[in-house]
Amino acid sequence: MSALSVSATFAAAEFQTPSIEYSKLMPMLIVFGVALVGVLIEAFMGRTGRHQVQLILSIAGLVAAFVSVTMLAGDNQIAAVGAVAVDGPALFLQGTILLLAIPGVLTMAERSLDRGGVFTSAGSSTPGSEHERVLTATGVTQTEVFPLTMFAVGGMLLFPAANDLLTMFVALEVLSLPLYLLCGLARRRRLLSQEASLKYFLLGAFSSAFFLYGIALLYGYSGTVRLSGIAEAVSSNSGSDTLLMTGTALLAVGLLFKVGAAPFHSWTPDVYQGAPTPITGFMAACTKVAAFGALLRVLYVGLGGLAWQWEPVMWGVAILTMVVGSVVALTQTDVKRMLAYSSIAHAGFILTGLVATDTVDPDTGAVLGVSSVLFYLLAYGFITIGAFAVVTLVRDAGGEATHLSQWAGLARRSPLVAAVFTLFLAAFAGIPLTSGFTGKFAVFSAAIAGDAAPLVVIGVVMSAVAAFFYFRVVVLMFFNAPAPDGPAVAVPSPLTTVAITLSVAVTVLLGVWPTQVLDLADRASQFVR
Amino acid sequence: MTVVEVMFALLGVIAVGSAILVVTTQHLVHAALWLVVTLGSVAGCYLLLSAEFVAWVQVLIYIGAVVVLLLFGLMLTRAPIGQSDDLDSPLGQRIAAAVTAASAGAVLVASVVTSFRGERIDLSDDRVAGSTGDVGAAVFRSWVLPFEVLSLLLLAALIGAIVLSRRDVSAGPAGARMGVVDEFGEIAEADGVVR
Amino acid sequence: MNSYVPILVLGALSLGFAVVSIGAGALTGPKRYNRAKLDAYECGIEPTPQPVGGGRFPVKYYLTAMLFIIFDIEIVFLYPWAVHFDALGIFGLVEMVLFIVTLLAAYAYVWRRGGLEWD
Repeated sequence: MSALSVSATFAAAEFQTPSIEYSKLMPMLIVFGVALVGVLIEAFMGRTGRHQVQLILSIAGLVAAFVSVTMLAGDNQIAAVGAVAVDGPALFLQGTILLLAIPGVLTMAERSLDRGGVFTSAGSSTPGSEHERVLTATGVTQTEVFPLTMFAVGGMLLFPAANDLLTMFVALEVLSLPLYLLCGLARRRRLLSQEASLKYFLLGAFSSAFFLYGIALLYGYSGTVRLSGIAEAVSSNSGSDTLLMTGTALLAVGLLFKVGAAPFHSWTPDVYQGAPTPITGFMAACTKVAAFGALLRVLYVGLGGLAWQWEPVMWGVAILTMVVGSVVALTQTDVKRMLAYSSIAHAGFILTGLVATDTVDPDTGAVLGVSSVLFYLLAYGFITIGAFAVVTLVRDAGGEATHLSQWAGLARRSPLVAAVFTLFLAAFAGIPLTSGFTGKFAVFSAAIAGDAAPLVVIGVVMSAVAAFFYFRVVVLMFFNAPAPDGPAVAVPSPLTTVAITLSVAVTVLLGVWPTQVLDLADRASQFVR
Repeated sequence: MTVVEVMFALLGVIAVGSAILVVTTQHLVHAALWLVVTLGSVAGCYLLLSAEFVAWVQVLIYIGAVVVLLLFGLMLTRAPIGQSDDLDSPLGQRIAAAVTAASAGAVLVASVVTSFRGERIDLSDDRVAGSTGDVGAAVFRSWVLPFEVLSLLLLAALIGAIVLSRRDVSAGPAGARMGVVDEFGEIAEADGVVR
Repeated sequence: MNSYVPILVLGALSLGFAVVSIGAGALTGPKRYNRAKLDAYECGIEPTPQPVGGGRFPVKYYLTAMLFIIFDIEIVFLYPWAVHFDALGIFGLVEMVLFIVTLLAAYAYVWRRGGLEWD
C-alpha cells in the first residue's frame, strides 16, 4: 500500500532542514507582509489618515509584488519543499491578479460617492436600527477592508501556484474567508448584503468540504497529495480506479464552484448582487483568475493522464454553463445580476478553451488550452472590474440604482459613462477591436485545434444570445427617454476614474494590439511538472 | 474479531446514529449536544487507529471549541432553546435531503469499500505514523509553507470576527480619543440594551 | 494502546461514582421542594433574571469564542513542534516564531480594538 510507505517516511529519525526559496515566493511574501503591516496599522494608528496610509500601502504592495513577478519571469521550478510551482502559468496569473487588484483596491477606497465609503463600519448593527442610521450619518470609514483584501489577494496568488493539494486547500481558504466577510459589509442595502455573505459562506464551506474529500480520496488512491505524485500514479495505473474517479469528481466540484460554472453557479447572482459593488468586481475578476489557474494545474499537471476521462465531462459542464449563463441573463432586470449571469457564461467560454489538452501550436510550442485561457482571463478580468466600477456611478438617493429600468436614457445624463459602459458590454459580447473578441477568438481556435468544434458552435450561438441582452442595455441607455426621477451619474474621485480608465485602456489595447500579450501567454503556457 | 475491531465498529455505529439525531432532533440545543457525541466517537475511532494526536485535536478543537461556538451562536441569534416545530423543513425538502445524503454516503462508502476491501494494516507496526512527534516532523518537513500560511488564515479570521461583531466603534483605547465616535458610542449602548 | 487502560479505568470509576451517588441520593433522600431549590443553579448566587422574550446575548460572547478557537488552534500546532523540538532545531524554532508573531499581530489588534475588555 503506497499510502503506508509515505507515512513511514514521517518517522524517519534524521530531520533534514527543508530549504525554502524565499526569493521565489517574493510576490506572496510582499502581499502577505503588507497585509500584516495593515493589521498593525489598524491596531496602533489613530483614525485620521488611516485610510490614506492603508490605500497607499496596499497599492505600493501590489505594485511591488507585480514588479517581483516580472523579475521572476522565465523561471521554471518548484519551490518551498514542493509546495509551490514557479512556472509560466503561475507567474502569468499572479501578474494578472496583481494588476486586477490595483483597480479593485482603488474602487474599494472610493469615498466621494458615499459618505465614508462603500463599507459599513459596524457589520453587526441591525439593518434599519437607530444605531445604523447614526453610523450612516456620521460616515465612519471602514479601513480593515484593506488588510482583508490583501489577505485575499495573497491567497489568490498562492492558489494557481500551489503544487500540492494541501497547499491548494489552504490557499483556497485564505482567499475565500476575507471575501465571505467583505461581501457582508455593504453600507447600503445591508440585509441583501448580509444575505449574500451568508449564502456565499455556507455554499463556499460546502464546496470546500467537497474539495477536501476529493483530496482525501486522491490521497487514498496515490498515497500522496503532490500533483506530480498523483500524475505518476495515474500513468502507472496503480491503485483503484473508483477512488481516482470519485476523488477527481469531488475535487472538480470544489474548483468549479469557485469558478462559478453550472451546475455549481447558483450562488453567483445572489452574491454578486448583494455584495458591495467594488467587492463584486474584485471577486468576479480575481477569484475567477485564481480558480481557473488552480483548475488548469490540477487537470493538466495532476490529472493530465486522465484527460480522456475528464474531457467529456468538461464538455458537458462548458455547454451547460454557457447555456445557463446566456439564457437566464436574458430575463434579468438588475444590472448586477445580469453581469453575474454574464460572468457565468464567460466561465463557460473559458472552459471551451480548457478542454483543448495536448494541442500544441507547431510554430511557438505553446499549449493552446493553457495560453488561450491565460489571455482570456486577463481580458475578462479588466472588462469585469471596469463594468462593475461603472455600476457604482449610477446612483439615486438610496445608493446605487441597479434596476435596468433606471438606466433608461443614461446617455442623455452622461454620454461619457454610457459610452464607457457600452464599450465594456461590447467587449463582453466579443465585438472586434475589443479585448473580448481577441479572447473569444483565442479560446475558440484552441477548442477547434483540440477537435472540439461542436463546442465552438454552441459557444458562438451562445455568444450571439449574450450579445442580444448586452445590446438591449445599450439601446436602453441611448434610445430610451430617461425617467423624470431617474438616477444621476455621480462624479467620482480620481480613484474610480483611474480604475475605469485603466480598464478601458486595457480593453481597447488588447483588442487592437494584442500580439505582445498573446505571445507572452504563449510563452507562459508550460507547466513545470 | 479483536477487541479493537469490536470497539471500532461500536464507535462507528454511535457516530452515525448520533449524526442522524443531529439533523432530526427538534431541539436545537440537543442537536449541538448530539454533535458532541458524534465528534467524540469519531475521535475514539482515530484513537483506535493509533492516530493519537489527531484524536486529541478532535477533542480539543471540535468538541472543546467549535461546539462552544455553536452554542454561543444559538444564544446570540435568539434561536429557540426548547422544542420547536420550525426546525422541520417541508416534507419535500426532507425527502430531497435524505436522498442526497443517502446517495452521497452510498457513493463514498462504495468507493472506499471497493478500493480497500480486505486490505489490512498492522497498527502495532511502528511504521504506521500517527504520534505527535510524527505529525511535528511532517509539518516542519514537508508542509512548512501551508503551516505558515495557516497562521495568516487564523489572523484573517480573527480580524474578520472583530470587523463583523464590532457594534461600538468607540470601544478600546484607540477609539476613546475620537471625538465624533464617542457620542454615538452612547447610542450604541442604549441600542444594545433595548435589543 | 495499553497506555490508555488507566484512563479507561479512571473513567469507569468516576462514572460509577457519579451513578452511585446520584442514585443513592434519589433513592434515600427526602423530597421537599421550595422555590430556592427549584431555581436554576448558578453557584449559589441568585439567578440573573432572563429578559422577557428570551433576550439576545451581547455579541461579545461570539468574539470571546472566536478568540478561544484561534488561540486553541495555535496551541495545537505548538504541541507537536515541542515534542519534536530536538530534531527540528533552529529551523523549527524560526518557523514557529514566524507563526506566533503572525498571531501576535492578531493579539495586538484585538487588544487595541478593545476586544479583550468586557464592558
